[in-house]
Amino acid sequence: MISRAVVSVSMKRSRITADIFIPLGFIILLLVGWEYIVKLRSIPDWILPGPVQVVRTFVDNAPLIAKHAQSTMIECLAGFALAILFSFIVVFLMDEISLFRKALYPLIIASQTIPIVSVAPLFIIWFGYGMLPKIIVVVLVCFFPIAISLLSGLAAVDNDYLELFRSMQAGRIKIFRMVKLPLAMPAFFSGLRISAAYSVMGAVIGEWLGAKQGLGIYMTLSQRSFQVDRVFAAILAVTVLSAALFLLVSLIERVVIPWNRLNEK
Amino acid sequence: MPEIVVEGVSKTLGGMLTLGGVNLKAGDRDFAGILGPSGCGKSTLFNIISGLMRPDQGRVYIDGLDVTGRTGRVSYMRQKDLLLPSLNIVENVSIPLALKGMPKKRACAQAAAHFKQFGLDGFEKYYPSQLSGGMRQRAAMLRTYLFSSDILLLDEPFASLDAITKRKMQAWLIEVFNAISPTVMYITHDVDEALYLCDRIYVLSACPTVVKLEITVPFCRPPHGRTIVDREYGVIRDKVMEALEI
Ligand SMILES: Nc1ncnc2c1ncn2[C@@H]1O[C@H](COP(=O)(O)OP(=O)(O)O)[C@@H](O)[C@H]1O
Ligand SMILES: [Mg+2]
Repeated sequence: MISRAVVSVSMKRSRITADIFIPLGFIILLLVGWEYIVKLRSIPDWILPGPVQVVRTFVDNAPLIAKHAQSTMIECLAGFALAILFSFIVVFLMDEISLFRKALYPLIIASQTIPIVSVAPLFIIWFGYGMLPKIIVVVLVCFFPIAISLLSGLAAVDNDYLELFRSMQAGRIKIFRMVKLPLAMPAFFSGLRISAAYSVMGAVIGEWLGAKQGLGIYMTLSQRSFQVDRVFAAILAVTVLSAALFLLVSLIERVVIPWNRLNEK
Repeated sequence: MPEIVVEGVSKTLGGMLTLGGVNLKAGDRDFAGILGPSGCGKSTLFNIISGLMRPDQGRVYIDGLDVTGRTGRVSYMRQKDLLLPSLNIVENVSIPLALKGMPKKRACAQAAAHFKQFGLDGFEKYYPSQLSGGMRQRAAMLRTYLFSSDILLLDEPFASLDAITKRKMQAWLIEVFNAISPTVMYITHDVDEALYLCDRIYVLSACPTVVKLEITVPFCRPPHGRTIVDREYGVIRDKVMEALEI
């Protein structure tokens, strides 16, 4: 037993090494290379600042960036929550009523071919420069991965489960709630993680075209005045926000479906 | 007096006549085995008896009542345990009680009262993935029993287990069933398992499926998984094998 425990601990350690230190080392290597090239070629800051300069700008402008990031975050969370709500409603209807499924499925797939940047300006025309048009963009960006993963999770539920519960005289709603929904949860959360990362991008695209506040407009203004280091600092902020949201979703996943981690072993 | 009568049941599936007029019967407290080649429609037959599927022709009677196409009277267990990964064992097992409208707490308590008999003592709070295959099947069996305790349809319940676990489960099953004496229909691929467990065996033909051989097993079940030494054993076994064209 002892030797087995030791083996598993050392295996765990080597896995952590592989999962964390290898990508981390690679990123550091890239950053060092970037800094080196910028310094060696003495590239001016307004064309390409080095990572050291980016971090310095980020720290110097932290209060301002935080203020912009706050708006972006609010738009993200609101859009994300609405996207979850909508996808649950739509997917429930599609799963239970085949007419809905037939009518909506092609539409949902086709909607993905519309470039979001081309419709975002319309939202500004219709809804102004406030948060609403950005939230709509986030909803549109997030809805698809969530809805599709939920749909495929529901479709993947073993028919034998459904027959078993039908033989026990469970009604449709009960079967959906007790069987289909829990079994589809792991797939749903993998879609959720993807759209968590997308949602920040959606908000930034929305802000790009015009906003009172937000990382997107901060980026646009910085870029227009050739403050490329600020653009990079904003990109850094977007990355941090996306990662934070991704982690938040992973955390929620652990709370909502703790049993899923048992299955993965 | 739980008694299952299947009368002239036929069913066409995917354009092929699968069941071609099957007649069989399991009397009160009978343990009836159903043997037949793969794909001959044994599971389809259970789907019909349980009311999940309507036969094209024929009727199903339970206790003399016509229950064709109606679910809810019999409980039905399959080869897969079909436990929900999202619930622990006691919650899983108490599902049929909860579905009948019992409050969750009482359902769990009532289910837990059977855990010792079903060899699940102490595993109430475990999740299905933490249990061995044999234990999961026992949990599925308990869930089946809690839905309807007097008529059980078992569709190859031990087919996915290894030989040793399977043998243990058979001995255990005999013990439990001696205690609760339900009426059972039991699908299996395993001739020896059928001879070991069943009072009566139906051998089905290939499609279109009819009952090819009905045989009563005269010897008693041996205690604790001992070998059956009755002289009739070989004779009956050969008859069944012949009917199966093995
Ligand atoms: N829903 C269905 N639609 C069409 N064909 C089916 C369906 N269910 C089963 N079948 C076919 O009917 C035959 C009998 O299936 P089944 O009852 O599962 O056989 P068994 O349990 O005896 O192995 C098989 O050939 C199977 O492919
Ligand atoms: Mg089968």
